[in-house]
Amino acid sequence: MATNAIDQTRRMLSLVTYLRERPGARVGDVARAFGITEDELIADLDVLPMCGTSFRGGDLLDIDTDGDRIWWHNPDDVAEPLRLAADEATALLVAARAVATLPGLREGDRQALLRATAKLEAAAGEAAGASSRLSVTFESEGGVFADVDRAIAERRRLWLRYYSPARDELTEREVDPIRLFAVGHTYMEAWCRLSEARRTFRLDRVAEIKLLDAPADPPPVELRDLSEGLVQPAAEDPEVSIEVGPGGRWVAEYYPHDSAEELPDGGLRITLRTPDPASLRRLALRLGGDGRIVAPQALADSARQAADRALAAYGE
Amino acid sequence: MAIAKAERLMNLALCLLGTRRPLTKRELRSSIEAYIEAGNDDAFNRMFERDKDDLRELGLVIETVEGIEGDVGYLARRDSNRLPPITLDAEEAAALGLAAKIWQQARLAGAASGALQKLRAAGMPLAGEGASYDAGQPHSALEPRIPAHEAAFEPLMLACRDRRPVVFDYRKSTAAHPEQRQVEPWILECWRGHWYVAGWDRERKAERVFRLSRITGKVRSRQGKFTAPVPDHVTVRETVESWAGETATGTARIKLRAEHGYPLRARALTVRALGDGWDELEIPSGHGLDAWLVEFGPDVVVLEPAELRAEVIDRLRAVAKG
Repeated sequence: MATNAIDQTRRMLSLVTYLRERPGARVGDVARAFGITEDELIADLDVLPMCGTSFRGGDLLDIDTDGDRIWWHNPDDVAEPLRLAADEATALLVAARAVATLPGLREGDRQALLRATAKLEAAAGEAAGASSRLSVTFESEGGVFADVDRAIAERRRLWLRYYSPARDELTEREVDPIRLFAVGHTYMEAWCRLSEARRTFRLDRVAEIKLLDAPADPPPVELRDLSEGLVQPAAEDPEVSIEVGPGGRWVAEYYPHDSAEELPDGGLRITLRTPDPASLRRLALRLGGDGRIVAPQALADSARQAADRALAAYGE
Repeated sequence: MAIAKAERLMNLALCLLGTRRPLTKRELRSSIEAYIEAGNDDAFNRMFERDKDDLRELGLVIETVEGIEGDVGYLARRDSNRLPPITLDAEEAAALGLAAKIWQQARLAGAASGALQKLRAAGMPLAGEGASYDAGQPHSALEPRIPAHEAAFEPLMLACRDRRPVVFDYRKSTAAHPEQRQVEPWILECWRGHWYVAGWDRERKAERVFRLSRITGKVRSRQGKFTAPVPDHVTVRETVESWAGETATGTARIKLRAEHGYPLRARALTVRALGDGWDELEIPSGHGLDAWLVEFGPDVVVLEPAELRAEVIDRLRAVAKG
C-alpha cells in the first residue's frame, strides 16, 4: 500500500477508534484487520503519541506497544467511527456494483454484495451521491465463468474448446486452472496440458467447456502482477514495424508496443514485439488502406498474398 | 527534521473533533507543534488552508463559524462526523473486501482501503471471524481488477464529482491532430477495460463521449458551473458499443470456409452447409463489419448487401497494393 500522508492520516484516525474498543490488541491482528504490514502499523504507533486531542497541546495520546500488544492508557471519546468521505463511498460502491453484476458470480456472493451495497448507501448518506458518476462493467460469459470458478474451488481439471483469433482455429485441450481474473474482459490463467506451459484464456473465446473428474495439478507458478498488463513480450521476441495513417492510430491503443513515433501526416510508426509475427496477419488485413506492415517482410508478403487470394474469389 | 505531514494533519483533525466550541486559527496555530514551527504568517496560512482541504477530502465535515468579534473559528462537530450505525456480517465484509481490490488507481485504492478501515473501526468483522462460514472455498475465486493508467482519469473523476467544467486536447480516433474541447463532464465509465467520459461539449452544444486514452496533454479545470442540465440517464456504453459495431443495423449474407471463423458462427442467425467446403451464414451487420470480415482474408466471401461487398473489396485492394 502506498503510504502517503493522506492515507496514513485516514488510517490513524480509524486506528484510534479501533484500539479504543480493543485494549491489548495484538500487533499482528491489527495489521491484518487494517490490511497493512506490521512495519506500517508500528510506524503509525510511533506517530500517535505525538498527537493530542485538545488545542491546549496537552492530552497526548498515550498509546504504546511492546511489539506484541498495543495499549492505549488514556482512551478518549474523540475516537468515534467517522463517516465515509465521498471518494471512499465511491470506491466501495462502484466496486461492489461492478462485481455484483458479473455474470457467473456465485449467488451467495452476489447477494452479500447487494446487501452490503444497500447498507453502505444508507450509512454514507449524501457522500454516496457522487458514486453514480463512476461506473464499471465487466464482461463475462456466465456459464463458462461458473465452471471455471467451480473447477478452481474443487481443484479439478477442465477440458476446453478454445478459439485462437491469431490462427482462426478452435483447439481442444485440457487445462489445470490457476486463477480467474477480470480486467475489462474475464480471463482464466491455467496450466495448459497441451503445451505444458502457463496460458491465459479469455472466457468469451471458450467455445465449449467441461469439468473433468481428474484433479487439477498445476506446477507451482509465481502469480503475475495483474497491474502490469496482460501481454508482456519477451526481449527475444521478433520485432514488427507497422506504419499507420491517422485512421490506424487505434493500433497503438490496443497493441502493447515498444514505441510509437509520430509521422508528419498524423500517423504513427509503431514498433512492437510478438512471439508469433504471423498472428498479426489479421491486423494487416484489417488495416486496409489505413496502414501497412513495414517489417518483417514475410509478414507483409503473407498479408498481400491473402488479400490477392481473397480478391480472386470476387472475380478480381 | 520537519514534523511529518501525517502527524500535523492528525493533530489538526483531533483538535477539531475534540473541541466543543469553534477554535480560531490563532488558537490552532499556538497549540499544534508543526504550526508553531511553520515560520511566517503566509507560510502558516497556506499550510493551514491546505490541511483543511486535505481533511475535508478524508470526509471530515469542518464548520467555519463567524465569531462575535469577527474572528473565524473552526470545529468538526461529533454528530455530523459520526458514521451512522452500520452492521455488516462476515460474508458481506468478505464480499466488500474482494470488490475493494479492483482499484489499481492510487487515489481510489487508497479511498477503498480507507473506507474498509473506517468500517473495521466501526465493528465490521474480518473475513473468517463470523459464524456460518463454510470451510474450503465459500467465495468466487475471482480477482477483479480495473486499470486506470490514463493521466486524465483522476482530474476527470474529481471534475465529475464536483461538477466542474474542464478543458482538454482530444484527438479523435481518425484525426491527425488534437483539438481543444470544452466539456462539462457527467460520468466516467469503464467498459472492456477502457475508460470513457460522457458530458456536454460546450462548443458543439451536444452530448459527447470521449475515450480517455485519446486525451492528449493535461485536463484543466475551468471556473464556473455547468451551463447545461445533467440528464438523469447517460448512455456511455450504448454509444461506445455503436462505435465498436455491436449495434446491428441489418443483416449480411456471407460464405465462410468450413472449420473457420468461429466468432462469426457464434453470432450467426443461420448457418447452411453448401457442401463444397463452404458454409453460408446470415450474420448481424453494423458499423465496422467490413473491417472485421477482411481479417478472415480468403476464408470469407461477402454475398450481400452490395455496399458491404464493395467495401470489403476496397479494403482488400488496399492491402494487395501493399
